[in-house]
Amino acid sequence: MELLKKPLDPVIAMVIVGFLDIFLFLVVGAWTVGGGETMITGLIAHSVMGDKLFRIPFWVHVFKPTLYYWKMYISLGMGFGALVAAVLAKEFYWRIPRHLNEWLMITAGGFLMGVGIRLAFICNVSTFFAVTPQMNLGGYLAVSGIIPGAWVGSWIYKRVLES
Amino acid sequence: MEHNSLTQLLASFIFAAVVGFLMQRSRFCNTAALRDAMLFKNYRNTKALLALMIVNTVGFTAFMSIGGGHPIEFEVGFNQFIGLFLFGIGMVLAGACTVSTWVKSGEGNVGAIWALVWTFIGMFLFSLFWSAFHWPPAPATMSTHANLHTLQFGVANAQTLQKATGIPAIVFGLVQAAILGAMYYAIVRRERRRSQAPDPHRSGAGVRTPTAAAGMSRPSGLEPIPAGAAVEGPQISADSRPSAARPRTPSTPGRKGKAAAK
Repeated sequence: MELLKKPLDPVIAMVIVGFLDIFLFLVVGAWTVGGGETMITGLIAHSVMGDKLFRIPFWVHVFKPTLYYWKMYISLGMGFGALVAAVLAKEFYWRIPRHLNEWLMITAGGFLMGVGIRLAFICNVSTFFAVTPQMNLGGYLAVSGIIPGAWVGSWIYKRVLES
Repeated sequence: MEHNSLTQLLASFIFAAVVGFLMQRSRFCNTAALRDAMLFKNYRNTKALLALMIVNTVGFTAFMSIGGGHPIEFEVGFNQFIGLFLFGIGMVLAGACTVSTWVKSGEGNVGAIWALVWTFIGMFLFSLFWSAFHWPPAPATMSTHANLHTLQFGVANAQTLQKATGIPAIVFGLVQAAILGAMYYAIVRRERRRSQAPDPHRSGAGVRTPTAAAGMSRPSGLEPIPAGAAVEGPQISADSRPSAARPRTPSTPGRKGKAAAK
């Protein structure tokens, strides 16, 4: 049990994840994330709006809400695994941002991530751990977009830190 | 929408639970891999990102050479550039990417849960945009052919490269892995040079702390920024820093946090 509480070197951890990802690639597909969040969005919207949701073509042609979509279990599984790890290591506690600017940055950031994922049809995990290793041209385009994006974000973040 | 078998759903959940566990214990953060390299010249997470990419590149292209696995196929287009540009800004502002938001939510980070909620809202609003313009092409409607009018370039990956040239995909994969390996090596060399150079912030030049020796070193770039200032940033960003630089006291402690603060 003590072993599970020890901090891990991220390089070792990610090499293990890499080998598991190859196994997942053979079973169902490489590790991607944004699709799971989209499906959860669709299921929440369906539970709120009912069949009116299907008046929006996106939820008919692109993501028809279903519980049998593997990427949703990827997202939920990561949260579950992290919860178990945090509880075992006694690192689970509620952390709440204190300042308004933190809430504003997180809100804007979350919103931009949602729009960006759906516009690109991939997220950063798909970019670095799925499509670029598959040498997909979309991966190289995405990498060339995320690096200047992260630079602009870092510039804004730094300005906020300095202020 | 594809319906997956229970085996596939179970395999996905188990895989992701292990990933979540490893990410929580290693404090790996995709956002930090880019942000810390740019802001603090700290490459702890960048090296992990490159290592995973090397393993995956070799593994995926090896199986793609023999027609194995499930490669992702979608219409490549300029939308990947714009989308990930917006995503890059968003993940740094939120202090976490989609993976880290789940991992940090699992640790009890309310900021991460809030980021997830707004990711869902962003996705829903984009679904309205897509429904009005039907762009970019969805996998169900993709033509797989280049269409410059809609800024789409068709489907292109290691398998299409193999088909076009007759050279096995693994050969291209090994070339890419070698480039990524060279980047990793350049970072290691840079770190080695930096650890050997006299550091005015340390009491003894070239002395490595136990945490640094264990690969959990505090980013030297964090040092000029007052510790208080770093904590003032978005809460989920502060958590994505290496454990040595990470405040153990939450900004608004819960019951356990208060105990830890005492």
